[in-house]
Amino acid sequence: MVIIVKYGLYHEIEKRKMEFAEPGDTIVLIQNGVFWLLNNEVRKFAPEGVNVCALKDDFLARGYKESDTSEKLISYDEFIEILEKDRKTIG
Amino acid sequence: MKKVLFVAYQAPVGAIWVNETFRTAFGMYGEDIEPAVLLMDEAVTAIAERNAPERVGLLPVKIVKKYIEKYGTPVYAVKEDLEKFHVKDIDAGCKAQIISEADVKKIVRDCDFVIFM
Amino acid sequence: MKITIQVMKPAYTYEDLDTALHIAEAALKRGHEVRLFLFSDAVIGANKSIKPIKIDRVIPEKMKSLIEKGLRVDLCGICMDYRGLGADHVIEGANPSGLPELATLVESSDVFINLMA
Repeated sequence: MVIIVKYGLYHEIEKRKMEFAEPGDTIVLIQNGVFWLLNNEVRKFAPEGVNVCALKDDFLARGYKESDTSEKLISYDEFIEILEKDRKTIG
Repeated sequence: MKKVLFVAYQAPVGAIWVNETFRTAFGMYGEDIEPAVLLMDEAVTAIAERNAPERVGLLPVKIVKKYIEKYGTPVYAVKEDLEKFHVKDIDAGCKAQIISEADVKKIVRDCDFVIFM
Repeated sequence: MKITIQVMKPAYTYEDLDTALHIAEAALKRGHEVRLFLFSDAVIGANKSIKPIKIDRVIPEKMKSLIEKGLRVDLCGICMDYRGLGADHVIEGANPSGLPELATLVESSDVFINLMA
């Protein structure tokens, strides 16, 4: 499944959405969801084996650099590519 | 047949999303879709016996009950959230199935699309 | 592949419609069929009379340019009525519709991207 997270840290529902993930799933952080990359917070909720990525434009627009995260930063084009492979969504 | 779960998480008094979640789920019956509704977090207060948005002039939630009955739409409410928000007297007319957080995950993962409203 | 994107938050106040249009543009470029369903306050984003300050983006114009590239835009009709938005107020190519159309989109889409409220 592809889990789309758009709200930032401390949003209770986003935490719970991420906990639905299982190995092989992808969590895509968009908008303020990119804040979950800070201090690797996302990994506290995403089980091992879950792919994590964030929209690059949303991350950079919030004042961060590519080097501020070890997770993959993706373009909108790559987001569609993910959905071409895994069509079930939680949004 | 597509399985679609519509999820409300905001309180029914103060925001329209519980009403919209039910309205959208009921709207799916014209197609080959199996909709269900999940109430989580503050939205579980929607099934409290005395919950009444109309007391402050808002659209009532209870109007959805006759459609739940008509369509047999599965309605789930999360046990841990009912406890968190001290919901004890549940309106039986909402026909909600009380499920644990662990069961929520099973339901979610069984769906094609999960739509948080 | 057929992709539907649903937006519920109002344009300009939130980033949702911008995100949706970026995704739609990328999907169209990859040759996909893309539908945008605007629900609740998001319908206002199709108002052709929107007039931002000069340095800001004009969302309805961007939407219109994508419609010309194949994007189809559906607007929740009841949501329009609630907000006093008539069919003659919206950009060309955006269609007042409703839940039966949303149900058809849910049923026929390979992917449903929901930007939660």
